Amino acid sequence: MNRFRSKSVVMVLAMAGLALSGAALAQKQPLRIGMTLSDIPATNGAPDGGFEGYRMTGYTMFDALINWKLDDPKVAPTLVPGLATEWMADAKDRTKWIFKLRKGVKFHDGTDFNADAVIWNMEKLFNKEAPHFDPRQSTQVRGRILSLKSWRKVDDLTVEFTTHSPDATFPGQTAFVLLSSPAAYEKGGRNWAKTALLPAGTGPFRLDRLVPRERAELVRNPTYWDAKRVAKSERIVLLPIPEATTRASALLSGQVDFIEAPPPDFIPRLKSQGMQITANAYPHFWPYFMSFREGSPWLDIRVRKAVNLAIDRDGIVKLLGGFAVPAKGIVESSHPWFGRPAFDVKHDPAAARKLLAEAGYSDAKPLTLKILVAPSGSGQMLPRPMNEYIQQNLRAVGVNLELVTVDWESVRNCRRAGAGTPPCQGTDGVNNSSQTMDEFGAFKRVYGSGSIPPAGFNYMHYRDPKFDAMIEKAFNTFDDKLRTQLLAEAHAHLVDQAVDVWVVHDVGPRAMSSRVRGFVQAKNWFQDLAPVYVAD
Amino acid sequence: MLYYIVRRTAYAMPIAFGVSLVVFSLVHLAPGDPLSAVMGEIDARLLAEMRAHFGYDKPLYLQYFIWLGNVIVGDFGVSLRTGMPVIGILLPAAANTMVLGVLASALGFTLGTVAGMVSGYNHGTWVDKLVSSAAISGVSMPHYWLAIILVIVFSVELGWLPAMGIGNVPTLFSWAALKHMILPTIALAAIPGAIVARTTRACVMEILNMEFVEALRARGLTERRILLHVTRNALPTVLAVMGLQFANLLGGSILVETVFSWPGTGYLLNLAIFDRDMPVLQGTILLLAMFFVLTNLVVDILQTVTDPRMSRA
Amino acid sequence: MSPSRAPKVTVSMEVPLGVTQALDVPVGTLQLRTYWQTVWQRVLRDPVTLACGGVLLVLIAAAIFAPWLGLSDPFASDSAKRLLPVGSPDHLLGTDELGRDMLSRLVYGSRLSLTMGVVPVIAALAIGGVLGLVAGFVGGRVNMLIMRVTDVFYAFPSILLAVAIAGSLGAGVANTLIAITIVFIPPITRVTESVTTQLRAMDFVEAARASGASTYAIIRTHILGNVLGPVFVYATVLVSVSIVIAAGLSFIGLGASPPDAEWGLMLNTLRTSIFLAPLISILPGFMIFIASMCFNLISDGLRSAMDVRF
Repeated sequence: MNRFRSKSVVMVLAMAGLALSGAALAQKQPLRIGMTLSDIPATNGAPDGGFEGYRMTGYTMFDALINWKLDDPKVAPTLVPGLATEWMADAKDRTKWIFKLRKGVKFHDGTDFNADAVIWNMEKLFNKEAPHFDPRQSTQVRGRILSLKSWRKVDDLTVEFTTHSPDATFPGQTAFVLLSSPAAYEKGGRNWAKTALLPAGTGPFRLDRLVPRERAELVRNPTYWDAKRVAKSERIVLLPIPEATTRASALLSGQVDFIEAPPPDFIPRLKSQGMQITANAYPHFWPYFMSFREGSPWLDIRVRKAVNLAIDRDGIVKLLGGFAVPAKGIVESSHPWFGRPAFDVKHDPAAARKLLAEAGYSDAKPLTLKILVAPSGSGQMLPRPMNEYIQQNLRAVGVNLELVTVDWESVRNCRRAGAGTPPCQGTDGVNNSSQTMDEFGAFKRVYGSGSIPPAGFNYMHYRDPKFDAMIEKAFNTFDDKLRTQLLAEAHAHLVDQAVDVWVVHDVGPRAMSSRVRGFVQAKNWFQDLAPVYVAD
Repeated sequence: MLYYIVRRTAYAMPIAFGVSLVVFSLVHLAPGDPLSAVMGEIDARLLAEMRAHFGYDKPLYLQYFIWLGNVIVGDFGVSLRTGMPVIGILLPAAANTMVLGVLASALGFTLGTVAGMVSGYNHGTWVDKLVSSAAISGVSMPHYWLAIILVIVFSVELGWLPAMGIGNVPTLFSWAALKHMILPTIALAAIPGAIVARTTRACVMEILNMEFVEALRARGLTERRILLHVTRNALPTVLAVMGLQFANLLGGSILVETVFSWPGTGYLLNLAIFDRDMPVLQGTILLLAMFFVLTNLVVDILQTVTDPRMSRA
Repeated sequence: MSPSRAPKVTVSMEVPLGVTQALDVPVGTLQLRTYWQTVWQRVLRDPVTLACGGVLLVLIAAAIFAPWLGLSDPFASDSAKRLLPVGSPDHLLGTDELGRDMLSRLVYGSRLSLTMGVVPVIAALAIGGVLGLVAGFVGGRVNMLIMRVTDVFYAFPSILLAVAIAGSLGAGVANTLIAITIVFIPPITRVTESVTTQLRAMDFVEAARASGASTYAIIRTHILGNVLGPVFVYATVLVSVSIVIAAGLSFIGLGASPPDAEWGLMLNTLRTSIFLAPLISILPGFMIFIASMCFNLISDGLRSAMDVRF
């Protein structure tokens, strides 16, 4: 009896000791994450699968020269030094940017991060003649950093970039260029498909095991350069579970610890089982982008306003279990870029009917709009019920909304090709959620007349000299505060023009088991997984 | 007999060729350029280069023969989306599907045969009625619906079994691995089990009605010996149905694999369709169809070999 | 003449998803009236078949007359009335995830689901039947050509072929119909060809030929008359398979698309609501099940009534 007790005391002590040492190192329990993607996003530093890909295999394993601040749930997306410690535009020639690189950073494979590595990465993504140029990675990144013209090594820890024209938003664009190790590519036999199995970045995690379509296992990088962001969890397991119901069931049955986008109708059930639900507004909006090409009914501002006024956004929020915010523009009304638009985007069917009548539409001669939609996709929330709900809202004011359903890639192809092109199949608009993370991506890429396809992402063929002038002025303003003010004016102008059909902003609900600790949901498409762990 | 086997095998060759032609044509029916769908924002010159690289600039018939030639030596091309060799994606997926197929067949065929035998022997009794009702439910069952209900009951409500995936297990022969397979196996086994039960029941009833059984009884054979005769006579038909069902299981697992996110060929097919990843799509359909051709061949031969009339001849 | 004493030809019939069995087709210059009277009397004595027939009649009638049944608008959504339980006032079967009346959607859904069950079978019967008749009657190289092509399509598991065709053509009801039709043509061609070939060699057909009857007349009186019954039995099984496959295609996003009401699609979209409203979420699947089972049971009943064994 006595011996037994002393033995158990020893055991308890030993266990306590283990637990202590474990806490000092990292949590042994792996963090298993159910993604909405149907496959593991690419692991070579330029993830596919939209921003969810960047979130999962991008910022976990890699760093950009400039990273996003992800530890504060209150602030709008903010840039913080990543592999560059400081950056500035040349005061004399605003098209030249100097980036000072962080010293002493090593890739996961032990090789040094330096200016040569940066140049090599630029060539990988943007120089078609380079032997290691990878069109797949290039596709993912190129459209996000259109200002970039050239790059040059100044010294081992300094790089100079040149932009096509002065562009104060250039630093934000570099946040999408993740830097991977040249040595890993050599080790992979100069074959990108092989390198994908053993890539090396500088991030808080490194890839340990990749089973395509099944799982990716990331292990912590104990020597991460930012001591504050050394991972708390020993291992993260990424699992593609595109079916929302399956994903939620997997969480409920304890197969995963953390899921993205639980279906709203599952949330009461998840809560009742003690799951944690997090949500936070982030720079996302769910719109219809409409064609401004000749013959489009959208050219009439009365139609644009009427359709916006016909939509019952509160009803849609209810449909989404409260996990959305009604949209009154491309950013939330509390956002510094929102400004003071005169047109209030709200539900007013009577006003909508009146405007439509003025525009010459009636029940006898109804307005018909054809929209290209997909049944699922990154950032698309619950597209089917939402679109059907809007269809009903519009029917109530005498607008006939036709939904043309195609797969997700086809919607993206149409948006890339632009309104009126064959991929759009004769539709007047496209339902594709959009991001407002960075200034370039939010404004110029989507609404600038210089971005009309194939040059950029202005699907609508929106040509507005006044807006162009406003945005040029803002992009040429290197004072951050002043630039924000100018962007707010430009945004107010967009709202007054009722350019898109604005519906809701997503709040990115996530669900995790009660044992998951340390997750702080930033107002961002990206999230920091380094501090997250599963408690014993 | 040998002559039959050789002839039957030779006949499978043109079929296999035709199948490859159908697979290729089907996949090329898909509207849109295969590369631009996958590569997204890409400029015209680069697209042209990549088309040339993947051989999509050649005339279709030439593309077909090049593809066929490569496939024969085991080269299914590379995935457009990930750049990985298709064979490397396809084989593990096929292995995962095979595991489910074998388990579901084992479960469905065993239950189906036993239930069919019992019900055929006890024609008209309540046992027969019960088995027949279960069997008719089984063949009419939308198995993807059954899969959903199984997940709700056993994973979510009772929490006994995992809801999805294959788990992370070093070996397939462990309880942890088996746990992941139970629900998909049941969902997949419903239809073939019911079909085998119905076939067996019909066969047994038919044979019991035959004159030779009466003759055997008259000669005073024990029921056990009679059962042996019945089994022997029912075997060819039942075997044929089983073979077909097994091949159908492998080719038709897409719905159940989708519900369970089971990383097999069905799930791969679903992804490849929505990703428009042509080489993967082509490879997966071809592999499954070829397996079907092969199974049919084996079943035909087996049926001939096991047919008592044939061996007597 | 009792149908069971008619001479028989044996045909191997295969149901996609399924069954291969010998089908013994009673042949001969049947006195059709007596035959069908016998069949009808047998059906009347079979409560299961009658009940299923009744259920299907109700379903089909509801589908056809849906707009005149005084149902709520199947598309009118109301987010305040989402997922009302079964038995709610005004919504007998509750409401779906958009607050649309489930009863109305299930009834309207039956239009598409039943259409996708029946149309491919009819189309395949027309195409496959003609191909089989031609192959069987003409024989020789024509037979060779038709049957070898049929064999190739036969070499695909049915769901795989349907998914591959629908996946290549793209989502949509029309493409689903085409896909399933193509899946059903080979088995029907095979059956028709086999029966026709065997019949052609039979004495009474030879006799009719010798007496100078035209090909058309022979086909019409001797071959069609003898084949139609069993093929009808076979077709009812195919309808059941077709319903399940079509709904399955919609379920994975290859069939009907919103806002269509279709059982497979409804099953898919209601999956996410399974905990808030389990009963409502499984209703569409239940309808698929019932419709499919009724067609199967009717096929069973007709088979024994017509003394077609397979």
